[in-house]
Amino acid sequence: MAQLPQLDMQKMQMVQELEIEMMSDMYNRMTQSCHKKCIPPKYKDAELGKGESVCLDRCIAKYLDIHERIGKKLTQLSMQDEDFVKRMQGGEPPKS
Amino acid sequence: MNPPTSSDDNDQMRSFKDFLASYNKLSELCFTDCVWDFTSRNVKSTEEQCSLNCMEKYMKMNQRISQRFQEYQMIANESAIAAAQKVGSVSR
Repeated sequence: MAQLPQLDMQKMQMVQELEIEMMSDMYNRMTQSCHKKCIPPKYKDAELGKGESVCLDRCIAKYLDIHERIGKKLTQLSMQDEDFVKRMQGGEPPKS
Repeated sequence: MNPPTSSDDNDQMRSFKDFLASYNKLSELCFTDCVWDFTSRNVKSTEEQCSLNCMEKYMKMNQRISQRFQEYQMIANESAIAAAQKVGSVSR
């Protein structure tokens, strides 16, 4: 009985680490994408221009928004899929 | 269960790894954008200036992005807490 919560803790930690890794991957991809979309490859100046800054702010806001929306949709679809598979397995006799 | 020293080491290793990765990415990006002339083997002063500007600008961009990201995360956290509290008060 005492082992179960510890196992759960370990699993939770693994999930948390995975989540952090996923976040940092998303962050890097977002940075790359917004850099490509907002900073023209002419480097006469080392400062961020006003237009560039505004573009970056909007790019990040939109990227995170889309990230959230896709996450919701993906969860929804995968849940539907799981449901479907379960019902198929429940309806049909097991083949073995 | 990690002793605190090993988790500190892990943090340090991670940030060192991050540093090296961003160094390589920056070199590739700024070289690709700034160096086009291969009629000479010497780096031109315009190419050097462009590369340095590119690096500085990228760092500033990174700063801004991390600031905005933190703001987003704070708001997301707050709304998650508020939603949890709402659920708690309804079930009570």
